[in-house]
Amino acid sequence: MMTSVVLAVMLGGVWLAATYRENGSRAILLPDQVMTLFPDPKPLTAFAFTDHENRVFDLSRLKGKWSFLFFGYTHCPDVCPTTLATLARAHEDIVKSTVGAEDVQFVFISVDPNRDTAGKLRQYVTYFDTSFLGVTGDNAELGNLAGQLGAAYQVAITPGVENYPVYHTAAVFLVDPRARFHAVFAPPIDAESISKRFKVLRELEGPKAT
Amino acid sequence: MRWRRPVFVGLMWALTPVAAAAEQAGVSVRDAWVREAPPGAAMMAGYMVLKNNTSRSQVLVAARSSGFGTVMIHRTVVKEGLTGMEHAPQIELLPNASLLFEPGGYHLMLLNPKRTLHAGDRVDIYLEFRGGLVLPVAYEVRR
Repeated sequence: MMTSVVLAVMLGGVWLAATYRENGSRAILLPDQVMTLFPDPKPLTAFAFTDHENRVFDLSRLKGKWSFLFFGYTHCPDVCPTTLATLARAHEDIVKSTVGAEDVQFVFISVDPNRDTAGKLRQYVTYFDTSFLGVTGDNAELGNLAGQLGAAYQVAITPGVENYPVYHTAAVFLVDPRARFHAVFAPPIDAESISKRFKVLRELEGPKAT
Repeated sequence: MRWRRPVFVGLMWALTPVAAAAEQAGVSVRDAWVREAPPGAAMMAGYMVLKNNTSRSQVLVAARSSGFGTVMIHRTVVKEGLTGMEHAPQIELLPNASLLFEPGGYHLMLLNPKRTLHAGDRVDIYLEFRGGLVLPVAYEVRR
């Protein structure tokens, strides 16, 4: 699958990031297995979703904040609740930092708009953290943003079957306050690993990124 | 204080068969828990550590519970970067081997809980092994 290949290439981009930072002779965050940093963050282009309050969630909603994006669906018993609980702990940790979490948002993108209505998304995401946002859109828009992030998903909607399979990338994507795809965290994710790296990255990128 | 008695009897009933069956089966279960789900969630997952204490293989073939519409043995798998679930029709526990059911791996997929489960609640699930053995296990709901 093409999109998976794209993701694999991006994960390889970790070494490029290291080279770039060294040449720039400025403070660097060394690459590791957890986070892949892009040397030249790619600006995202227009997309249109709806959030769990039925408000438009488009590119403008990604500006001015660091956004952690995670693709999933609410009928997901294992990986999605585990990841959201982990992200809630990472958020808590960022809240406790000196800079706080005013400039951070966590967005759960449902790839299953067929079952995940705004009401269901609200109930689901706010359970993990009241600040979390749930968004979804039609298949074209989901494919649009997923494609820009190199994220892949497959939904095998089966009429009359409640428990149809959904496949999605379990990585967590980080978009910077200029709405550029800045980094990706590889699964399985860990709260402290994410918050620790994010706090360092925000400090390094802060003045430039905002 | 008539109400105390049924509670006491209930506890006895609840705890005794688990230990007895585990011993009898030669399979023990520990750290059995279910992740608390958001209100209205149709799906939950159960985790545990299974241990085969015998010198022959034990095969887990099914799980059931009156607390859910459906219980299935599932495994989270990653294929070409995509994470999804696979039904595991049976799991063989090799002699004296332990098997982890944990987030991101094997889990009991619990579809359509009959009531909202909260952290601290207990839910009984029966594990069925080849040969007809049924092991009742009490899972603790945890946040």
